[in-house]
This record gives sequence, C-alpha cells and structure tokens, in this order.
Amino acid sequence: MNDVIPIGSMVPLSGPSAADGKEFRNGVLLAAEEINDAGGVLGKKVEPHFVNSGRQTAEEVVRAARGLITRHKVHAIINGYNIGPQNSEYEPIADAGILYIHHNTLLQHHDTIMSNPKRYFGCFMGDPAEYWYGQGFIKFISWLRDTGQWKPRNKNIAIISGAKPYSIVIANAMASASSQFGWDLTFGPKIVKSPTPDWRPLLSEIRDHDPAVLANTQFYAGDLANFQLQFIENPLDCLLYLQYGALHRSFSEIVGDKGKGIIVGTVIGLPRDKIGQDFAKRYRQKFGENATPEVGCQPYTSLHHYAIAVALAGGSGGPGEFEVNQRVAKKLKSTVFRSVSGSINYHDKWQSAIPYPDAIHDPSLGIPHIFYQLREFGQDNSIIAPEPYTDSRFVKPIWLS
Amino acid sequence: MPRKPSAKQDTELIAEAIDGMNHGFALWNTDGTIISCNPNFRSQFQARNLNLSQGLHLAELFNDLVATGELITSKLVQDLIDDETTALNELSTTEYTFADGSVFKAERWLFSSKMVAMLVQDITEAKRSERNLNAFLDNAKKIDHSKSRFLRAANHDLRQPLASLKILIYSCMETLDPENRAELLHAMDISVSIMEDLLGALLNIGQLDAGKIEPVTTTFQISTLMERLDVQFRDQAKEKGLRFKIVSSNYSVVSDRALLERIISNFVSNAIKYTETGGVVVGCRPDGSNLRIEVWDSGCGISPEHEEAIFEEFFRVSDDQAHKKHSLGLGLNIAKRLAEVLEHPINIKSEPDAGSVFSITIPIGDIWHSDIGEPEISERIGGEFTGQRALIFEDDPLLQKTLQELLERWGIETTCFDTFLEPDALAEHLTYPPDFIVTDFRLKGGVEGTEAVNQIRKHLGANIPAVVVTADTAPKIIEMIKARGFPVLIKPVSPPRLRVMIHNILFEPNLLDELNSKDGDN
Repeated sequence: MNDVIPIGSMVPLSGPSAADGKEFRNGVLLAAEEINDAGGVLGKKVEPHFVNSGRQTAEEVVRAARGLITRHKVHAIINGYNIGPQNSEYEPIADAGILYIHHNTLLQHHDTIMSNPKRYFGCFMGDPAEYWYGQGFIKFISWLRDTGQWKPRNKNIAIISGAKPYSIVIANAMASASSQFGWDLTFGPKIVKSPTPDWRPLLSEIRDHDPAVLANTQFYAGDLANFQLQFIENPLDCLLYLQYGALHRSFSEIVGDKGKGIIVGTVIGLPRDKIGQDFAKRYRQKFGENATPEVGCQPYTSLHHYAIAVALAGGSGGPGEFEVNQRVAKKLKSTVFRSVSGSINYHDKWQSAIPYPDAIHDPSLGIPHIFYQLREFGQDNSIIAPEPYTDSRFVKPIWLS
Repeated sequence: MPRKPSAKQDTELIAEAIDGMNHGFALWNTDGTIISCNPNFRSQFQARNLNLSQGLHLAELFNDLVATGELITSKLVQDLIDDETTALNELSTTEYTFADGSVFKAERWLFSSKMVAMLVQDITEAKRSERNLNAFLDNAKKIDHSKSRFLRAANHDLRQPLASLKILIYSCMETLDPENRAELLHAMDISVSIMEDLLGALLNIGQLDAGKIEPVTTTFQISTLMERLDVQFRDQAKEKGLRFKIVSSNYSVVSDRALLERIISNFVSNAIKYTETGGVVVGCRPDGSNLRIEVWDSGCGISPEHEEAIFEEFFRVSDDQAHKKHSLGLGLNIAKRLAEVLEHPINIKSEPDAGSVFSITIPIGDIWHSDIGEPEISERIGGEFTGQRALIFEDDPLLQKTLQELLERWGIETTCFDTFLEPDALAEHLTYPPDFIVTDFRLKGGVEGTEAVNQIRKHLGANIPAVVVTADTAPKIIEMIKARGFPVLIKPVSPPRLRVMIHNILFEPNLLDELNSKDGDN
C-alpha cells in the first residue's frame, strides 16, 4: 500500500450522464498513466479506483465517497461533475480529511467552503461556478455588438431556464447583468421542465416579444437537441445561445448541420493551442477517434495538478492524515497550474478555479470562459472568444436577417 | 619632554591640515588672481579647460565654469564676474550651485593686506532640508489658512439653516393645523439636508487636504452611474420646473466609480442650482480612446474671466442670495481636486446667459473587464434562491436562528414566527406574500403546521409551496403529513436535503412524489 497513492473517482457510468462519465474516467486514466510513466509522485504510483455514481443522487454519491474512503483508503477523490448531491458528499470527505477535486460548476461550492474553511480545507472545484456563465454571456454579446461584429435589431433579450439549480443560477445571472450592458430583458427567465418534448408553444410565445437574443440555459444535450430542431423549423430572428450540453457529441449527432451558427459557452473547455491539441491527440490515440477530450480534460487536469501539489508538499496522506493533506491543499492553492484547459488558479476563499476574463484580466492566471460557434456537423466548432484563445471570428447565422 | 616643533614644522603642519580639510580653501590676491588652493577646492572648482594654478584670474575661472555648464547661474557671465570681484573686495559671502545639484557657500576674509582667504563649504544637504521645510511650512500655512477660511465660512453658512431649523421647530410646536404642520416638517427636512450637504463638503475637503483619498480603479459600465444620477436628481430638477435628461451609454470606463460619481454629481447639482428655466442634460461622447461625460445646462452661464476662478474654494459666480445661502462654493473645487486625484481632465465651456457645459474625460475600458459591482460572488447574490421569500414557523429559538441564517445565506429573505398567528394578524407582520413556507409540525398552542399553512393559503388565495419539518419520527405521523399533501423532513434537517427540498417545491414539484416516497430519511 505504501508504494501507491490511491485516488478515488465517482463517475456516472450509467444514467443520463453516462457519456460524460466515460470521458471523466478516461481523463483520470490518462493522467494516471502519464504520471506513472514519468516515475510517479515521489516514486509512488497513482492508482485510480472508480465507483459508478449512476444518477448522481445524494445517496449514490455519498455512498460512493464512503466506499472509496473506507475500502480503498484513497488520498484524494478526483472527478468530473456529479450534479444532484448538493455538496452532501463533502461531509464524509471532510470527516476523512482527504482532498476532493470536482467539476460540479456550482456556486453552492463557494458557500459551503466559506461556511467553514477549516473543515472543508480539502474540497476544491476545478472549474468556475456556473454563475460566471451569466455575466460572461452578457459581456460576450455586448462585445459582439460594440465591436461591430453583429448589429442587433433591438435591445431585447429572452431567457429560457432549465429547472436544475445550475440552469436557474445561470439564467438569473444573465438577467441581472443585462441592463447594465444596455439590454432589455423582455422575456423570462422562464423555467422549463426537462424533458420538454414540444418547445413550439414556448417559442411562439417568445416570438411575440421580438428578442434580438435568445438564451436557453437547459443543459441536457437531448433536450437542447430537441429544442434546436424545433427552433430551426421557423427560426426567430435572433442570436441563439445554448448552454453547455450543445457541445456534446450526442447533440451534434442529433441536429447535424441544423446546429450551425449557435453560440455555446463553457467555463472549462479545451483551447486549441499546442498544449490543448497535443493532449487531444494523445487522448484520441488512447481512447478512439470518437472520444471527447473536451470533457475528459477536466479530471485529467486536476489529477496532474494534485500530483504536483503532492510532490511540492512532500507527500500525500490517507483518511485521517489531516496534517499531510492540509499541506497538499495549501500547495494546490498556491500553485498556479497551466493545464491543457488553461490556468488553474484557485481562489483563496472560494477554492474554485478563477475564470478568465470574467474574474481576472490576466489570461495566464485564469481558466478561459470559451465561446464557441457551431459549424457544420463533423467540423470542429469555432472558438470566437475570448482572446487570446480564438481561432476564428463570429459568423452571422443564416437565419438572422 | 617632547620637543617643541620648529616654525618650519608648524607651517608644514598647518599646510597639511588645510590640505586635508573637508572644506575648500583658496588664497586670492586682491587683484583677483589665485595664489593657492587645497585639493578640496580644486576638485570642486577645477574648470574643464583651464588649469587651476597660481595666477589664474577669477574672471577666466568663472567664465570657463559657466561656459562648460558646470556652474548654474541666471546671471550674464560678465555680471557674475563683476559680482565675484565685488565679493572679493567686500569680503562678502556667496553661494554657488553646480550642475550636479550641489550647493556651496563661500566665505571670505582678509588674510593680509593683499591676500583674501576663501573658505568654501558644501551646504547641499542643508539647502535641501531648508527647501523641504519651506515647502512643508508653505503647505501647512495654506492648509491652515484654508481651514480657517473654511471654518469661518462653514460657521457662517451652517448657522443659516440651523437658525431656520430652530424657527421651524418652534412654529411646528405651536401649530395645530395638520397641513401647516406638514409643510413645516417638509421645510425642516430641507434644512437638515442642506446641513447634511454642507457637512458632506466638509468631509470631502478634509479628506482631500489630508491626502486620504486613494482611488480604487476598476472597469465598469457607465450606465450604472448614469442611472444613479437619474434617481438622485430627477425629482430635484422637476421641483424646480426644469427638464432633466440622462443620455446613457453602453461604454465601459476605467475609473474610481464612487469618486467619479461625486464629481459628476457636483456638476449636475451646480447645473440645477444655477438654471432657472430650460433644463439639464447629461450625456456621453466618445473621444478616441476616451469617453467625455458632459453636463449641459441652460443656466446663467459663466463669464470668461470667472472660468478658472469657479474651481477655487468658496468662489461663487453669483452674489444672488438665493444661490449663495445654500452653498459654500466648494462643489466645483471638490470636483476639480477629485479629478486631479483620478487624473481625469475636466473642462468647461460657457456663455453668459446661455448656459454651460461641464465635462470630464475618462478612459474607455475593455468590456470583458467590466466589474458587475457585486461585493461577493456567493449564493446570497447569485444562487438559485436569490430573492425568494420564506415564512418560517419554528418555536425552538436556536433552530429558528440556524434555519434563518442558512436560508439567508442562500439568498432567501425570511420572516420568522415562533407561534402561529391567525392569518389576519399574520398579514399585519408580513410586508409581502411568501414564496414558500417552512413549518414545524407541532406549533405552540396545539396548532399543527399543516393546518397553519392551509389557513395562510386560503387567506392569500394562493397555493404557496410548503415543507413540514418535525422531530417526530413515528411512521404514523410521517404518513399523515404526507397524506395531507406535504413533503416532510425529519429533524435535524441536513442542509443539502433541505436545499433539494426547497428547489423541488419551487421549481420541480413533479419530483416531489419521488422525494417524498422515501420513508422518514434525511
């Protein structure tokens, strides 16, 4: 046991997020392999242990965390996201005094950490909170407008929200930032349940409000695909933004070329610089051409960052080894890591990655909040903001007048 | 016994001592030629192109020092030479400033009937200290003078509204007529706000004088500031019968938000004060990489000779009592000084009887860097429950407090009761209808929480979502609560479970059945 560092990972290998879960697992495996090929961390091999978090309910995720701690004595738990447990998994992890790095993208994380920083010293969110999607999007459309890349017909903005906390927070953040930047919120945020088989009545209602911008913060790929197919039957004359799920392969496979022109944002993606491209190549070589490095990059990045922190701290500890792990946590916080996704720089109070340019102006100190514009099916999406990560420019969607 | 030195040895000793002195020493003939000098004098006065040797005349020396730029003087060379000759003859003291910033003082005395001794000392540090001290003294005098002026003016100007207030209070005490009383109270309110403004000006000046204002520069949307100006001044303008228009803009700017607002507020306040008819317009104009914020008024205008003076302390353009009595004449001075702190140029264009335009120019910022202005990124301001309103019924003080703090951390406004009141009585305590209710099952007085919620729903005519919490774990009780159509949580309630419950009752009620079907678990 002493010559390995056991790392746990709670990944949804079944249920609605299984596609992402598979990529999260891939990301951990690739990172572990690279670390071990380089000699491990202070001579010790990283040994991943996976537990299926299924539908990601609080019960499943808490049970998974407990299992990893008691059975495998993991030194850290590193995953993608598990949206549903509402941070309840933090409790057994904090009790054990080990590290936890996830990508839940939730503002709740800030409050949990700030409520008791001492207890939750080891809990980190490797991506920014969903809150940043909101104001980031408003700044993005304002930038498009003010730089002349797009001439909106009016100032109207309409927002549809999914029913999950993630979607509601994003929608509310968009709504509250809009007027400062010269937009009028004329519709929404309107909360819509998932699944929504028929979007047409809602689209018709929105049409009466004549928006120049329509944002849909629902994030399930299937729902968004359905929405897009119905939108394009009789498109509104507006810029269209869809939340994260539209980046999924499954979305593209359903909508095909009908997705061309949509704007999609992500607060943790894969820039197309050399570092990102080399990673994507390695990832696909290992897991196949249909693998999605844009998803796997999340825990991949965090495992590498953790390894560096352990090396700098002089070692890692299992459950109960608070002092050792506090040192690792401190190093994680104080070491800015330029990963394949951008720079992971943990905020001192929030213990979540700081987004660029939303919360920091220096691109070397934040993880980029990337805006894509979808292209033809099969083609890589264009990265159109922010600088210096762009590889293309905004193109007016064909349905815009 | 040590041998007494000979006269020759004495001379040599003295010469050695003079050579080793820290000061420059020279011997001159009374005709102006140099006889000898010590190394220190030579190092300071060695002319570039001449050899400082016996027989060199002071005219040649100073001519060369000035020509090479080593000696700094505002005099013409010949005048300098004449002065040096005079100083030699009159044995006076002179000062020299060199190009490296050093300053020397030369003292002269008659050495013999035909020789003049000259001692030169480096007084650079002393001069520097003297300059600093003089500057400090000047500044202190200015501040003191300004404070005395200010306190005199403040004393005078504050007395007026205070005197008015006194009269108004006595009048109010004596009047029984409600309408009259209301008018007097309104007038008192105005007097108090005038004093507030004057005291505010006092604070501004104090802070500026003490150098305590440190700008906090961010990038922000100018629209937010314009909106505040609109709220602050539109009623004031309306009361005076003036048109008031804010033409906002989408630009991001780089400045200190609060200080910039103070400056523009001073401009707008001034504009309204000195405009009797017409109106005031505030707008933005891009100017290259800057944005110029302009305040236009159709007021009395300012004559050209006053355009600079209006930014001085206590200056007032008009002697008209109506303007004078409510103003110390400090607003524009404060604006100017704040603008200097921010390094934003301000400008004025005016024509007597036609109006004025006051403007301030600020750099345009990068929209991506624009600060939304939130003090902290937390659920309190951005969470899914932000702005929701909850009614809490819980008679255990500690539990009530814990629950209240938790919900407020999530951005929820709470109203708490430890006892159920009849809906009519309850309505008096509620400033708004709640979005949801959290209630203990067993309330004081034997009322059940479910019944309490039903009564509130009936009274408000709305099916307000509610969740019941209880310490009672008996399955029969739990089933009963559920059968009444209420989701239930067992105490102690875990925050994550409570959060999920609140989310579902508000946004995904279709999931409640699934959540509620789990028996008595937390």
